[in-house]
Amino acid sequence: MAVFRAMEKRSLSKTTFMLWVATLCAMLGIGFYGMYQTLWNGLQVTNMSDRVPWGLWITHDLSAIGLGAGAFTLSAIIYLFRIKRFEPIARMAVFVGFLGYTSAMLALAMDIGRPDRFWHPLVYWNVHSVLWEITWCVILYSTVLVIEVLPIILESQYFDRWPKLQSFSHKLHKLTPVMAVLGMALSLLHQSSLGATYGVLSGRAIWFKPSLPVMFILSAVAGGVSMTLLLTMIVSKLRNVELIDKWLRRDMSRLAAFALLAYLYLKVWDWAATNYYSHAPGTADAMMRLQATTPYNESFWWLEVVLCGLVPAVILLNRPFRRRHGILMTGLALIVFGVVVNRWNVTLSGLVVPPSWSPGVLGNAVAATYVPSWIEIAVSIGVLGYATLAFTLGAKYLPLFPKKAEDGGD
Amino acid sequence: MAKAKDKKQPLISRRDALKILGATGATAVVSQVLTSGPLSAEAIKGIARHTEASGEHEWHMGIDLDKCIGCQYCMKACQAVNDVPDDDMRWNVGFDERTEGGTDFFMTRPCLHCQEAPCVKVCPVGATWVREDGIVAMDYDRCIGCRYCEVACPYDVRRFNWKQPEPSEIKKNPYQPAWGVAEVERRPRGVVEKCTFCVHRIDRGLEFGLTPGVDPQATPACVVICPVNARVFGDIHDEESPISQFLEAHETFRLREDFGTEPKVHYVRPAKEEA
Repeated sequence: MAVFRAMEKRSLSKTTFMLWVATLCAMLGIGFYGMYQTLWNGLQVTNMSDRVPWGLWITHDLSAIGLGAGAFTLSAIIYLFRIKRFEPIARMAVFVGFLGYTSAMLALAMDIGRPDRFWHPLVYWNVHSVLWEITWCVILYSTVLVIEVLPIILESQYFDRWPKLQSFSHKLHKLTPVMAVLGMALSLLHQSSLGATYGVLSGRAIWFKPSLPVMFILSAVAGGVSMTLLLTMIVSKLRNVELIDKWLRRDMSRLAAFALLAYLYLKVWDWAATNYYSHAPGTADAMMRLQATTPYNESFWWLEVVLCGLVPAVILLNRPFRRRHGILMTGLALIVFGVVVNRWNVTLSGLVVPPSWSPGVLGNAVAATYVPSWIEIAVSIGVLGYATLAFTLGAKYLPLFPKKAEDGGD
Repeated sequence: MAKAKDKKQPLISRRDALKILGATGATAVVSQVLTSGPLSAEAIKGIARHTEASGEHEWHMGIDLDKCIGCQYCMKACQAVNDVPDDDMRWNVGFDERTEGGTDFFMTRPCLHCQEAPCVKVCPVGATWVREDGIVAMDYDRCIGCRYCEVACPYDVRRFNWKQPEPSEIKKNPYQPAWGVAEVERRPRGVVEKCTFCVHRIDRGLEFGLTPGVDPQATPACVVICPVNARVFGDIHDEESPISQFLEAHETFRLREDFGTEPKVHYVRPAKEEA
């Protein structure tokens, strides 16, 4: 708190801001180097293998899309269910969603072996593939997000000099309710389908269950709303301005917390039904090997359920905790972190203990391992740098919040 | 007047939106309900027969683990003929194994060419499909390299080309020409590849009136080279084919039949397992 008070006077000092931007540019530089290495030498620069073909970048992609879910959730609440008190957060949510989806597409472009063929799913259809459906939904929804974000950009002071752009932006803005409906439909589809990507694979016992799509969308709602609120609170602190009032803060915290509770309920029942109360041979075998040879079982309980599930649920639903900004922000950050840990755990746990298909006893006895290579980490740092830099500039120069709050009113 | 109206009336009301979403959902449910009645006798027959390929031929392979001596010729011939220079990208894998009873044996595994192939269902661009003769084929020019098929395959069959494109002149294939010559083009970097049952030999052989499984020019390289005839191949629609006779003569099993993938590779258990 003292630090923030020291910054006083609306915003950060110029030097601090420039240092921050320089750091982000350095991250971008690291990312560009990683991307160059990847595109030039191919995916051999990663530590992925035929046994673990998906790794850090898929986790980055799934997390970014999940944490961008605040856009569709809050848009639906505001424009479809007309709960007007959420309106001040609408633009921020859409902006965060836009950054999440563009980050995901960047990470995916690096991850596929032939980025030059990224357009193939649009031309060559396989309607039986959830990934085909996801590709379509993500592309369409990103278009929706662009249409929603454009008016925000065009409304900034810089564009005042072109009145034609202004009227175009007003026309686009009028489309917002339609976009909210489209956005909700598309998001309900692909946010769940991302879980189905794993849930439909009948050969992989750890993944094969109908609960995965539902758990993915519930965690995305909790994570997306938390991400939006967390970033809003950080910007508020840095600019020393109340951007949203405490009632909206309370409502958003509760929304995230209830989504989180629903998610935890499903998660615990999912575990109970597939592990505790039953003994399906494939699942039991895979879970036993997972527990014996990898850290993913422990990190499921300690990180996903306790630290990033129960703890933030208590913080967000308990008034004294919620009122302390530091504690509330910690809770929100834990939920965000939990989404990332969950996407990593889901991806890796299913891959490192593949089904044993050999009729003998030696084959498949050893679990596969995966630690990302430094080039994979570099690319991820670059994508993160892009999102953070774009967010920083957006928070500084774009009218993301209603005028009253921007002017420093409560 | 019209302007004032515009201002008040949103382009689409909440009620309309919910109606559209509801109607879409209801249509989906109704279409399922209408098609979920009792099945005709014909359709029930279809359920029992759904594992068969639709074409004139259906290619299957048999691997006798009891006969196999572990010489690895099948792996080497495969790498030469299909031009797979790197050992860690072998389409046809083999490794030392032991039965629960403690008998050592050599386990080999090509692509199982599942009739209900999980890899085929998940491909977002339809770059892999089950042909009419049951072979799971790949289109390397369409593949985007997302590797979802690798994730979906429960048998670890698929191989992603992680490395630099290596034209034969640059990277020499150590198995050529001792074990055979390249009969197909090497795949580019960034796509997924896998065992094809030497489909180029089958298709070309049929054109020349040969019988795959009997005539070596039309039979997968791994089957042809096996010095102890542990691998057999052929059309299961043909009762005289080596595979039909193999299935007749032996008690066979397929890998993880519980997955419901309906593989087309049949194994004979290594002997003395119960001893």
